[in-house]
Amino acid sequence: MRETFEARHDVSQREVLRIFGRAIRFVAPFRGRFAVKALLTVVSLFPPLLLPWPIKMQIDHLLEGHPVIPGDYPGFIRPLAEQLVGASPAEILLWTLGFQLLLVFTIGAMGSTSSERDQADARLSAGRDTATTTENDLNYGHSRASGLLGLFEFRWTLRLTHLLNHHYRSRLFERIHALPMTAFDDERIGDAIYRVMYDAPAITQVVYRLLLIPLYSPLGILLVTWTLDVAYGTRLLGWVALALLPLVGLATFPFAALIRRRGEESRMAGATTASTVEEGMSNVLAVQSLGANERERQRFDRDSAHSFGRFRRYIAAWIFAIACLAAVGLPVILWLARYGSDLVIAGTLTTGDFALMIAYFVQLATYAFILGTLWIRLQGNAAGLNRVFFLMDLPGEEDAPGAQPLPAVARGVRFEGVDFDYEDGTAALRSIDVKVPVGAMTALVGSAGAGKTTLAYLVPRFLSPTRGRVLFDERDVAGASLASVRSQVAFVFQEQHLFDTSVEENIRVGRPDATQAEVHRAARAAGADEFIRALPDGYATRLGRAGGKLSVGQKQRLAIARALVREAPILILDEPTSALDPDTERRLLVTLREAARTRLVLVIAHRLSTVRQADQILFLQDGRVLERGSHDALMADPDGAYRRFVELQTRGAA
Amino acid sequence: MASPTRTEALSDELRRLGSGSEGDRLSFRLVVAVLLRCLPLLRGVRRHLLAFFGIVLLLFAAILPLVAMGFDIFWTGVLQGSPLPEIQARLLLLDPALVSGVDVLSEAARRSVRDHALVAAAVVLLAVALPAAGALTYYYIWITQRINQELRLQLHDRLQTLSLRFHAETRVGDAIYRLHQDSAMVSDLIEAVFLTPVMHFGRHLIAAGVVFLFDPLAALIFLLAWPPALALGYWMSRRLRIGFRAARETNAALTARIQEILEGIKVVKAYGTEPAAQRSFEAHSRAAFDAAFGVRFLVCIFSVLVFGLVSVTTLAGYARMLEMTRLAEPVFAVALLIGFGFDRFTLGVFNLLKGELGWGSGSFRIIYRMWARAQDMAIGLDRVFELLDLEPEVQDAPDAVDLPPFQRDVTFRGVHFGYGPDRPTLEDVGFTARAGSLTAIVGPTGSGKSTLMSLLLRLFDPDAGSIEIDGLDLRAVSLASLRSAVSIALQENVLFGATVRENIRYAAPTASDAAVREAARVAAADGFIQELPDGYDTLLGERGTKLSTGQRQRVSIARAVLKDTPILILDEPTASLDAETELRVLRNLRAWGRDRAIFLVTHRLSSVRQADRILVFHEGRLVEQGSHETLLERPGGAYRSLVHAEAPPAPQRMAAP
Repeated sequence: MRETFEARHDVSQREVLRIFGRAIRFVAPFRGRFAVKALLTVVSLFPPLLLPWPIKMQIDHLLEGHPVIPGDYPGFIRPLAEQLVGASPAEILLWTLGFQLLLVFTIGAMGSTSSERDQADARLSAGRDTATTTENDLNYGHSRASGLLGLFEFRWTLRLTHLLNHHYRSRLFERIHALPMTAFDDERIGDAIYRVMYDAPAITQVVYRLLLIPLYSPLGILLVTWTLDVAYGTRLLGWVALALLPLVGLATFPFAALIRRRGEESRMAGATTASTVEEGMSNVLAVQSLGANERERQRFDRDSAHSFGRFRRYIAAWIFAIACLAAVGLPVILWLARYGSDLVIAGTLTTGDFALMIAYFVQLATYAFILGTLWIRLQGNAAGLNRVFFLMDLPGEEDAPGAQPLPAVARGVRFEGVDFDYEDGTAALRSIDVKVPVGAMTALVGSAGAGKTTLAYLVPRFLSPTRGRVLFDERDVAGASLASVRSQVAFVFQEQHLFDTSVEENIRVGRPDATQAEVHRAARAAGADEFIRALPDGYATRLGRAGGKLSVGQKQRLAIARALVREAPILILDEPTSALDPDTERRLLVTLREAARTRLVLVIAHRLSTVRQADQILFLQDGRVLERGSHDALMADPDGAYRRFVELQTRGAA
Repeated sequence: MASPTRTEALSDELRRLGSGSEGDRLSFRLVVAVLLRCLPLLRGVRRHLLAFFGIVLLLFAAILPLVAMGFDIFWTGVLQGSPLPEIQARLLLLDPALVSGVDVLSEAARRSVRDHALVAAAVVLLAVALPAAGALTYYYIWITQRINQELRLQLHDRLQTLSLRFHAETRVGDAIYRLHQDSAMVSDLIEAVFLTPVMHFGRHLIAAGVVFLFDPLAALIFLLAWPPALALGYWMSRRLRIGFRAARETNAALTARIQEILEGIKVVKAYGTEPAAQRSFEAHSRAAFDAAFGVRFLVCIFSVLVFGLVSVTTLAGYARMLEMTRLAEPVFAVALLIGFGFDRFTLGVFNLLKGELGWGSGSFRIIYRMWARAQDMAIGLDRVFELLDLEPEVQDAPDAVDLPPFQRDVTFRGVHFGYGPDRPTLEDVGFTARAGSLTAIVGPTGSGKSTLMSLLLRLFDPDAGSIEIDGLDLRAVSLASLRSAVSIALQENVLFGATVRENIRYAAPTASDAAVREAARVAAADGFIQELPDGYDTLLGERGTKLSTGQRQRVSIARAVLKDTPILILDEPTASLDAETELRVLRNLRAWGRDRAIFLVTHRLSSVRQADRILVFHEGRLVEQGSHETLLERPGGAYRSLVHAEAPPAPQRMAAP
C-alpha cells in the first residue's frame, strides 16, 4: 500500500485537471466565508489605481512646473488635483506625499513596484521538509494588499484557511479509522498516512489559487485598462497585457511537466534521506553492536548528497523557466520605452504621464504574470493532492446496506469451509471447518507461520474469509453490522500498545463506562494489580508514550486487564503469556479458565503450560487444522503431529 | 563513569528540551548565540562564500554606475531633452558634439540617444545580468547545501552515539526523535539566520551609500527608520517567541497524538474507541490552529508596522530629494560623481535615488522579517545545538587500549547499576563465564537481564564494581575494539531493505558467499532462505518479501554468527521460534562456539537446558548459579520452582535424545 502512496506521482495533465476540479468542490461547505474573501480581494484591486497619480503630479507640477488643469485628471483623482491649483511647491509636496502616506496605511503601498508595495503575510522559514513548508501554506495570506485592508483580509483568510484545513484534516483522520485492520499490519503505513496528513493543506493552496487568481487578474487588467482609457483615451496597454498572457504561458508551459517531475524527484530523494535517518535511529543498537557505524554514516552522506543534487536539478529547471520569461518580457519592455518616449518627444505626453504609464504597465504585467504562471505554480500541489484523494478513496470497512446487528453469541463460533489468501495470492488458511464453543477455552497451536493469528483475526472481522463463512450461532458475520461484531470481542494483540494516559484510563479503553471497582478487579485478574499499586501514583500513574518504562510483561498484563474489563462474550488472546514468569502465568491461567466458563476464550500459545489448560486444542500446520482435541487425547496418539510438537518442546526436561 | 544523578539530570534535561515546555528563556543573547554557533559550520565553505560575495560585489560595482547613467540618459536626456554629459555620450557611441555640446537636444537626437540606450540596456541585461543572476543563484544554493550537508552529518553522528546511550530510556528516546524532526529545519538555518541577513543588510547599506553620495541628508532621513524599528523589534520579540513556542507546542502535541493513535490503531479499532480518538484529534487540531492563528497574526501586524515605519522615512527622503531636484542643487560627492556625468540633481538622479530607496526599504523589511523568523528558529535550533554539544557519557579513556584477542573469561565483579538513584537495577552481581561455554541468564521480566548485557557492551558503565575480559577492565578498553569483539542478536531485530545475503553480511561486508551460507546454516535459516523466491538474493523489507518474526530472528542470528566474534549475546532471539527450530539453533550454536563465550538471555526453560551454566536473576540480584542438574536438585530453589511451573508431567515415553 505504501508503494501505491509513493509511486503514484507521475500524473498526466488531464488527471491534474481532474484533481484540481475535485479540490475546488471542497470549498463548498464554506462558500459564504469564501465569498467574503473573494469580495475583499476584488475590493483590494481598486486602491492601487490611485498609486501612480501623486508621482505624476510630483514630476509634472513640482519638478517641471506645468500648471495644474483638474479637467485633465479622471474623476476619481480630480479632488486631489483641485487642491493643487495655484499651490506653492511646498503645498504640492505636502498634498502628494500626504496622499501617498494615506495609501501606505490603508493599503500598504506607496508605488507600483514590488519594493514599494507590501503584502500582508506571515511567512516563516520553511525547511525543505514537508512539515515546515506545510506550516507556511497553512498560514499564507493570499492577499494583494497590506496596511489596514491587508491586515483585515489576512485575518479573514487565516481563519478561513484554518477552518477548511481543520475540516479536511478531520475527515482524513476519520478515513483512517475506517481502513481495514490489515492496512496497518505494515508498520510503514503509519508513516505514509502521517505524510498524507501534511499533504492535506495543498487543498487550500489549490483552491485559493485556482479560484481567486482567475478572478482578480483579468479584473485587474480590465480596471487598469479602463483607467487609461478614461484618462488618455487609449486601450493599447490593455491589449499588450492580454497579448502577454499567452506569451507567459507559452514560455513556461514546456517547463511545467519538467518542474513537476524534478520537484517530485527532489521530494522523493528527501524522503529517502529522512527514512535513512529514521532507520538509523530505530536500529541504533543493531547498527552499533554490529560495528556498522561508518557504513551507516556513508549511506546517510550519500543519500543526503543525492537529495541535495535532486533539489539543485529542480532549481535549475526553475532558472531556465525564468530565463525564458525574461526573454519574452524584454522585447515588450523595450517596445514600451520606445513607444512612450516617442509620445513624450512629440509633446503628446508629459514626463509625468510617462512615469504614470510605466507604473500602470507594471500593474498590468504583474496581473498577467500571476495569471500566466498559475499553471506552472500549481504543479507542485498536484502530487500531494493526489495522495490525499488516494487515501480518501481507499475502500474502507463499511457495513453493507441493510446490515443487521448481531445478537450476543450464546453457543459458539463456527468456521465453515474457510479459505484465506493474502493479497499476493499466497494461501494463509485452507478449508477450515471447526467449531469454537462458548463455555470453553480453545488453544490455537502450531509453529510460526501456521496461520494462527490469521484465523483469530477472522472472528472480529479484522479480516474476511476469501471463501467460506464465519458464523456466530449460525449467523454469518459478513452480513452483520461491524460494531455489533466487534463489541462482542475483546482482543489482546501480540504486541501491546498503551496510550499516554493513566493506567486506569488505559484499562478502561476496554469499556469506557467501567467503574473503578471493575477496573481494579480486571487488573487483579490479569495479575497487574500488584505492580500497578507499586507505581508512583498507583492507578492514576500516567504512562508516557508507548508505555514508558513498563516491562513487556507488565504491558502484557495491562493489555489483558483491558480485555477482561470489556466483559465481552468472546475473548481472544494472541500469545498472552510469552513474556510472563511462570508464577504470573499460572495465576493468569486460573483467571482465563474462570472466564471460559461463561465465555468463548481463544488463546494462541506456544507455551505448553498454557496450552495444557485448554479444553480444546486446534493444531495448525501450513494453514490447515491438522488435529483437534484435548491435550491428553492428542497426546494419546503415538504418531500424532501434536504429540511430536510437544515432545520436541519438552525434550530433556526433568 | 556514569553517575546515576548525572544520568537522571541529563535525561530530564533532554525530556524538557524535547517537550519545550518552559518559559521564555530565550533572550536576545541566545538568539545571537545561536547565530554565532552557526559560524563554525561556515568554515568548510569559507572560500566559496568569499568568492560568492566577491563576485556579487564586483558585479554591483560594475553595473551600478551603468544603471545610474542609464536613468540619467533616459529621464533627463530622452524625456526632458537635456544634453548628455560627455562621458555618457561616449559610452553610447554617440558623437559628443551632437548630443553634449548643445543647449537642447533636437527631437532626432533624442530618438537616436534613446535607441542607443535601449540597445545598450538590452545587451547588458542579456549578456551580463541575466546569466550572472542564474549562475549565482545556482552557486548560492550549492554553497548552502554544502553547509547543510556538514551539519546533517554532525547531527547524525551525535544522534547515533546519544541514541545508543538512551536506548533504555524510551521517553528520552522520544525526545531525541522530536529533536531530529526539529533539525529538519536545519536545512534552512544558515540561509535564514546568516546568508540572507548579510546579503540584505549589504543591499540596504549600498542603497543608503548611493543616496549618501548624492545627498547625505536624504540618506540620514531614510536611516531614521532604524531607531524606532529596533525598539519595535525589541518590544515584539518576546511576544513573538511566546507565540511561536505555543504554536510549536500545540503542533507537537498534535503530531504526538496522530502518532500515538496510528501506533495504537489496532487497539482503537478492536475496542471501538474511534469516536473518542477522533474527538481527541479534533481538539488537538483546533488548539494547534488557534495557537498558529495567534502568532501569525502577530507576525503580520509586525510586518505591517515595519512597512509603515520605513515608508514614512522613505517618503521623507523623497521629499528632500524632490526639493533638491526642483532647485537643481549640486550633488554632494561631486568630485567622484562628475566622472559619470553627475554634477547637479536631475529627474534622472531623482528616479535613480528613488529606486535605491525602494531597494533599501525592501531589504530593511526583509531583515525585520528575518528577525521575526529567527525568533522561531532559535527555539528549534537551540535544542539542536544543545544536542550537538552534549558529550556522550561513555567515552574512551585517554589511554584506552585495544582489547587483546579473547582467551579465558568474562567476569562481573560486584557490579551495581541503576538508571536512577532510587531505581537500582542490578545489585552486587558477580560471576564468570569461560570461553567455550554457554551461559543462560533467566529470571522474571524486569529482573535486570537485559541491563546486564548492556553493561557488557558498555552502553553504560557500572556504578560500582567492574566488568573484565581476561582480567582487563572494560573501562580501560577502547569502545571500538570492545564492540567489535561482541556481537548481539536481539529479540526485536532489524532487517534492512536489502537482499537476504546483504542483511546477513551487514556486519561483515567482506564475507564470502560460502561463509554467509554457513552462518545461515548455524542459525537454521538456510532451509527457509533457499525456499524464498530468489533464495539468498531475495529482497527483504519494505518493498520486498516479508519474513515471519521467527525467520527474521534467525536471519539476525546468522548475522551475529557471521560477524564471528569471540563473545556472542543472544537476547531472547529465539522467542518466536518453535521448539524444534530453537533446539536446532542452540545445538548448532554450541557446536560453532567452541572457543567463544555465548550468553543467552531467555524466558524459555526448554532452551536453558542447553546451557553449561545458568544464572538465575530476581529483582536485580543473582540468586542462583550452576548447571541445570545442580540447580534442579536444590530443594526450594528459585530455578527449581521455575522449572516446575513450566514442565509438563514427565512423558511416559522419552523421545530418543
